Amino acid sequence: MPELEIVKLTKSFGGKKILDEVSLSVEKGDIFGVLGLSGAGKSTLVRCINGLEIPDGGSIYYQGELLCDNKTRISSAKRRKIAMIFQQFNLLEQRNVLGNVELALEIAKVKDKKIRREKALSCLRRVGLEEKAEAYPSSLSGGQKQRVAIARALALEPEVILSDEATSALDPETTQSILSLLKELNRDLGITIIMISHQLGVIESVCNKVAILDQAKLVESGDLSDVFLSPKTDIARSLIYADHVTTDLNEHHFIRLLFDGNTDEPIIANIVQDCSILVSIVYASTKVIDGKVYGQTVIKRPKDLKEREKLKKYLKLHNVEFEEVKSNGLE
Amino acid sequence: MDWNEFGIAVAETAGMTLISAALAYLVGLPLGILLYNTGKKGLRPNRVINLILGTIVNVLRSIPCLILIIVLIPLTRGVFGRATGDWYTMIIPLFFASFAYVARVVETSLNEVDQGVVEAAKSMGASSLQIILKVLLKEARPSLLLGVALSTISILGYTAFAYDFGAGGLIAKAYSVYHSSPMNYLSKPDIWVILLLIVAVVQVIQELGLFLAKRTDKRRIAK
Repeated sequence: MPELEIVKLTKSFGGKKILDEVSLSVEKGDIFGVLGLSGAGKSTLVRCINGLEIPDGGSIYYQGELLCDNKTRISSAKRRKIAMIFQQFNLLEQRNVLGNVELALEIAKVKDKKIRREKALSCLRRVGLEEKAEAYPSSLSGGQKQRVAIARALALEPEVILSDEATSALDPETTQSILSLLKELNRDLGITIIMISHQLGVIESVCNKVAILDQAKLVESGDLSDVFLSPKTDIARSLIYADHVTTDLNEHHFIRLLFDGNTDEPIIANIVQDCSILVSIVYASTKVIDGKVYGQTVIKRPKDLKEREKLKKYLKLHNVEFEEVKSNGLE
Repeated sequence: MDWNEFGIAVAETAGMTLISAALAYLVGLPLGILLYNTGKKGLRPNRVINLILGTIVNVLRSIPCLILIIVLIPLTRGVFGRATGDWYTMIIPLFFASFAYVARVVETSLNEVDQGVVEAAKSMGASSLQIILKVLLKEARPSLLLGVALSTISILGYTAFAYDFGAGGLIAKAYSVYHSSPMNYLSKPDIWVILLLIVAVVQVIQELGLFLAKRTDKRRIAK
């Protein structure tokens, strides 16, 4: 049974479709990334999960039970199990750090002040900010603010955390520390995380699954390594290889070699040595996902037909996945 | 110069201003909260209710205070047995002249609260009442306190009309100085004492409001 199942979710604002029959399913323990350009509908998707938006059609199931649809509102009890963190942190400026975390407990009607305080402090300890308990948000850095927001989310012992561009307002270093904190919470507490981002790097560094949204529609989804290794749609390709576009090579044909984490041979060097073909590399990128090396290398296709066949045979023989692409196939 | 008389005049002005302000907040604060929450950004947007409340507020605000006092004479008489002649007869018209204003001031303060914080509370499953009490009023507190000072000073200005109804107060006293010697009232020390007293009262209210607002605002205090 999936932890969260979204079925044909539809939502429009002022006649414009923001979500168009989006379906996806998130398993317990997933860190599920939702990637897309701004305006693709990512935020609306998570906001529907938490009841901040009411869908026009479709439904969302949580642990097998209906969470919400266009008639059923999400219950307060379930909302507390699905916490949310935001790009702008959304802390109360007039409450100190401890008070901000306690707010969640007050809302859940935890009456005992001492219990609230203890719980809030333990959550702050968890995010490494116990010593800032008495400080006010205005004196904190962005990263610290997001940690407080995470502590606040943790206060109600959620099963799911929705992260709506939670690191987009942070510098790269702070982003990494927040991401590793989230990853830690996922690992240690088994919290399922749905992570909205327009930043490829964010999704890539923590998620095990990914869905790509484009113009209100879900265009691809699956294991991160599958989607990132061989994106099928143009939009996915452009998102994943966005920063690697080279336009001056459009006249040529290319071959893209895909590495799926199984080979530890120096394939390119071997091609040069074994086939005596002088390979010219146009672009190469490898990524470490779950400890395995994935990636791609784009090389120029040999002009000589014999060489070309020889190369293909060699790649097949060594189980290297490849595809021929016109231009460099990256844009 | 009869200092005792000045003392009484200050007390009368303070009495009608503060009691009217308190009553105006008793009604204006909930009304402002209602205006905000039935509005577009509110927790329960409701165009009809918002329009009705907004119209009432706008109509009340557009009636000049003096006319309001005249119109309300029967009500004042019904409550106090008389409509003129004592400082407390001003309370009812001043209240009616100011609660609508207070409602708008409160609404404006609430509008300044970051929507994101409200959303965060919603995402935690907070009820509307919880959001109003724990988030909106708390976050808007400094601005609300400044609003109290602003409203009180504006009510203080309305107390000028007390003169027309023999209800006393500092401003009425200034009139009486003028009437007693219209040719050379500016050479009377009384008029300057009154002026100074009024400026002092306004300054005290303004500074107190600012002080409390700053004192309670946690946005700039780094601990």
